[in-house]
Amino acid sequence: MTSDNDRRRGLLARLRERPAARSRGRRRLGAAVRLFAALMLAGGAYTVFAPGVQAQDNPPLTGAAAEGKALFDVSCVTCHGRNAQGVEGRGPSLIGVGAASVEFQVGTGRMPMARQEAQAMRKPELFTDEEVRQLGQYIQELGGGPVVPAGDNLHEDGNIAAGGELFRINCSQCHAFGGGGGALSSGKYAPSLAPATDRQIYAAMLSGPQNMPVFGDNQITPEQKADLIAYIQQTLKTDQDPGGFNLGRYGPSTEGLAIFLVGIVALVFASLWIAGKS
Amino acid sequence: MKRRKIDMAAVPGNAARGVDDRFQVATPLRRLLNKVFPDHWSFLLGEIALFSFVILLLTGVFLTFFYEPAMTEVVYNGSYAPLRGTPMSAAYASSLDISFDVRGGLIMRQMHHWSALLFMAAIVVHMLRVFFTGAFRKPRETNWIIGSLLFWVGFLAGFTGYSLPDDGLSGTGLRIASAIILSIPVIGSWVSAAIFGGEFPGTIIISRFFIAHVLLIPGLLVALISVHLGLVFKQKHTQWPGPGRTNENVVGERMFPRYALKQGGFFMVVFGVVALMSGLFQINPIWLFGPYEAWVVSAASQPDWYVMFLDGSTRLMPAWEINIPIGDGYVIPPLFWPTVVLPGILVALSTLYPFLEARHLKDRKSHNLLQRPRDVPARTAVGAMAVSFYVILTLSGANDVIADKFQISLNAMTWAGRVGLLVVPPLAYYVTYRICLGLQQHDREVLAHGVETGIIRRLPDGRFVEVHQPLSASNGHADGHGELEYVGWVVPKKMNRLGALGPAIRGFFYPIEKPAEAPVSPGHPPVEPRPEREEITSGESRR
Amino acid sequence: MTTHTEHQTQPGREPLDVQDPRLSQFDIVREGARRDDIEIVHYEPQVVPGSKAERRLTRTVALFFLLTGLAATAFLVVYIWWPWQWEAGRGGDKWFTPLLGVTLGISLLAVGFGILTWGKKLLPKEVSIQDRHEGAVSEDDRTITGQTMLYMADELGVKRRPLLGISLLAGLAPVGAVAAAPLVGGLIEQPHKNNQMFTTGFAPAEGGGKIRLVREDGRPVRPADVSAGGQITVFPGIDHGVSNLHADSPALLIHLRESDAQDARQANERIGHGDYMWGNYAAYSKICTHAGCPASLYEQQTNRLLCPCHQSQFLITDNAKPIFGPASRRLPQLPIEVDAEGYFVATSDYTETVGPDFWERP
Repeated sequence: MTSDNDRRRGLLARLRERPAARSRGRRRLGAAVRLFAALMLAGGAYTVFAPGVQAQDNPPLTGAAAEGKALFDVSCVTCHGRNAQGVEGRGPSLIGVGAASVEFQVGTGRMPMARQEAQAMRKPELFTDEEVRQLGQYIQELGGGPVVPAGDNLHEDGNIAAGGELFRINCSQCHAFGGGGGALSSGKYAPSLAPATDRQIYAAMLSGPQNMPVFGDNQITPEQKADLIAYIQQTLKTDQDPGGFNLGRYGPSTEGLAIFLVGIVALVFASLWIAGKS
Repeated sequence: MKRRKIDMAAVPGNAARGVDDRFQVATPLRRLLNKVFPDHWSFLLGEIALFSFVILLLTGVFLTFFYEPAMTEVVYNGSYAPLRGTPMSAAYASSLDISFDVRGGLIMRQMHHWSALLFMAAIVVHMLRVFFTGAFRKPRETNWIIGSLLFWVGFLAGFTGYSLPDDGLSGTGLRIASAIILSIPVIGSWVSAAIFGGEFPGTIIISRFFIAHVLLIPGLLVALISVHLGLVFKQKHTQWPGPGRTNENVVGERMFPRYALKQGGFFMVVFGVVALMSGLFQINPIWLFGPYEAWVVSAASQPDWYVMFLDGSTRLMPAWEINIPIGDGYVIPPLFWPTVVLPGILVALSTLYPFLEARHLKDRKSHNLLQRPRDVPARTAVGAMAVSFYVILTLSGANDVIADKFQISLNAMTWAGRVGLLVVPPLAYYVTYRICLGLQQHDREVLAHGVETGIIRRLPDGRFVEVHQPLSASNGHADGHGELEYVGWVVPKKMNRLGALGPAIRGFFYPIEKPAEAPVSPGHPPVEPRPEREEITSGESRR
Repeated sequence: MTTHTEHQTQPGREPLDVQDPRLSQFDIVREGARRDDIEIVHYEPQVVPGSKAERRLTRTVALFFLLTGLAATAFLVVYIWWPWQWEAGRGGDKWFTPLLGVTLGISLLAVGFGILTWGKKLLPKEVSIQDRHEGAVSEDDRTITGQTMLYMADELGVKRRPLLGISLLAGLAPVGAVAAAPLVGGLIEQPHKNNQMFTTGFAPAEGGGKIRLVREDGRPVRPADVSAGGQITVFPGIDHGVSNLHADSPALLIHLRESDAQDARQANERIGHGDYMWGNYAAYSKICTHAGCPASLYEQQTNRLLCPCHQSQFLITDNAKPIFGPASRRLPQLPIEVDAEGYFVATSDYTETVGPDFWERP
């Protein structure tokens, strides 16, 4: 994955590595250099995108992206602004989020959002896969960003054992051991992985939607992502539970509920019958 | 071929004579066979706990044959593919083997776990029965104390057992337990180091928990349960008030044959329900949790239900840290109050309750008759208060699951719990108290005026009144009312419950219309039918 | 149990001669009950012997028992022949445990209900009344037992010879201590051995070498490995650094977005931790200061870190200060920098105590 953005980040990192100086003064100097570099980059980015604001259809878009732009201008422009620059207080800029983000947000129906909430919810999708692809292409051509590799099955050669280990260390704290999701602070939540496709899981890791941290390809390599997706799709979702109905995999809370609602209730009925008069 | 002739019919008699010659059991055995037990469904709740304990012993022994209580690191190579090649403790690997490589091991593990949950649930339900009926009063205070100790020892048994598989979830629980121990002022770090053999998690805790779980705690449980049952035997069971029942007698069935047969059958039913649940519902899927690693956690990490109230109290506790500015400074962390002090208070309050109540009421008499909850509004209301307190804590222990599944803000759940914990119990007290008084009043009303018949009659002066069926024969009052005294037992409130101790329609699940076959009693003449009461009066004096 | 075989039942009733051949079995049973102060006041067969009802009930009970055998046989068949070894997917092996449970459950329930029906429907109904004999121990008995015990105490003469009592106590107390000593002595451990409660695996090595931050597979971490808005769990790059032996060490390395990083830096400077972050990267202990769970639910937009055990929430941009829930202390920050080879290292150990609070923590 070598999008513009990443290359720039790599450059930044290299810039930083050099002045990783020990003395305070030199570190300050390093900070100044970094700040300067950041300013330069920001200026550069501005010069790249600013003309786009003035000269509308420039740089020229490919066919799919043009279709995507048409869709964007109908459905997304209210919140994300012209040319996806973002609208203060309504929606963020989409420059650099990449097709992965579009694929996740629009492909799962989270976007377009019905109203501003703590968190966008998964809804029935408004756009067809083809339209999602076109929208993604448009955003990709506008500002670059991460892209999900081609293909629907992204876990073909995944190693479930390795994936399980990755899942437990990176995912289970929010999505729970069974992938059922969990609560976050103040009404936010990590959604269930049950309806997620390979591509959506991949896109979510790449783009870090909402409050999910980003798991770039340097942190979890594409092979590891395949392992992870294999664990989720096969072990968590396809494999049947060997011990009977799994009670929603909520852990001990539903087990406790079951012992009262099923065990105690059944046995109280039994004792009512045993001690009954007739 | 000629055999020596044996009189088969005489064998049992001779054998019995032989035994009695040697052990003199005839008299005590007769007493045992003859012991009378009162019969009521609520008296069977404690048995559920007893029977699930037996199931726990049976399945537990099976599990020990395959479990390896060691924290040495091994690489899993069993048949569960998603964990193959993962480094883990021997304890976790052997628990996985029980689940996947021992034939029938998983059902045994699930039965053990479900019966543990049932054991604790039955203890709590039984305890509520004893509390609300006043069965803990003199002379049974000791048994009440033993019963509440049984809850706490069972709690320990459950926690140590829950920790043994050394999976991710139980390890998180163990981590919290170590933090709880650490939070004890002054000695915390020493106690923790002594239990874990150094810094958490160490390499010895699983072995120590194992011996506690399979020997020390079950030994204590067996001892306590034996004394508990022995005392029930010695002091004889309490009974509800009712016809012929007094404080000085026990009305019921002799132990043999019917009572014992029912108990045996009930044991099988409890066992069967546990087996069914273990087959139908998966419990504690340790293979999904992974091995315990200090940096791994899952959303919705909860303990088993009977520990959840502690988790809840911990979640609701505000971040109140007490700093003691002496020397380098010392600290009492907020964790200390909800997990050490609160259980301490609960143990003290629950064990001392019989004495507190007796002292408050200046009641020194022995009580063998139970009380209906409505007749003791104060106690019932206190009980409701305690139950609501416990339920709020338990729900708060699962508040993240509730927040997630019902789409409520997690922070709102915490605040609801905090406010609820202060507001709901007093409310429960008040509401329960009023309900008890209302029920009492209605009982007295029915006793005084009779049962509402639903028949509306128009009086000559044009008023409408409902006709009441009095419960006693007229005693000469002008309005035909006979006052009956309340005896602490069910007052019939519907016409079809009149004239019978039980429901007039027989049958449990569906009514049996056919009358019973004519009773023939070898010991007694048939019971004479009650004289029909025909008088019907209006309840117009009812206010 | 109180011994009251002698005085039987109601006064005025003569004990029966149970050897009398004219007595029926029930007469003897009832007489036995009477000798235990039990009056069988009601004994009523529920079914007439030989009646249709009896036959029906007998059939029901027998059916229950046969069902038991059937289900138990099914259990054995399943146990022996059903595929049971785990396989991926939705194989027949997944039905092994449910089938065992259901067959076992049915067989046990059937035998249970068989026995219950037998006892409940076929056996005669009875009502018996037994005396409790509360307070039946006479005052005389109490006096005798009490006086006997007092007498024994007097004979021992502890009152007259106090030295005996005192010396016995003085002798026994150490014996009790001897019983407790091996247990206490064996278990007790110095909790602050090697200062272990205040140090972690990130403490610089002997020669002052800084410890690298590594992933769970031991690879060191470079800045480029974590995207902005990302987080990674890091461990000390030492022997057994990624193991429960260093349960206190794991940290969460977070790559903050630019504006958040500025807030975080300012907050760091306010408490004199100005050089703890490296660029937009900050590392905080993953072990919650409340109860020690891994506080690792990082919300990359709100910069909150949530602990899933008790819902403490820490604000990363404000030195991981607790802003909600029961935690009272911020997460310790790991000071980090990048070494000459471009890998993250810890400049020093955590400067605050990691993990749950305890009495002598400060």
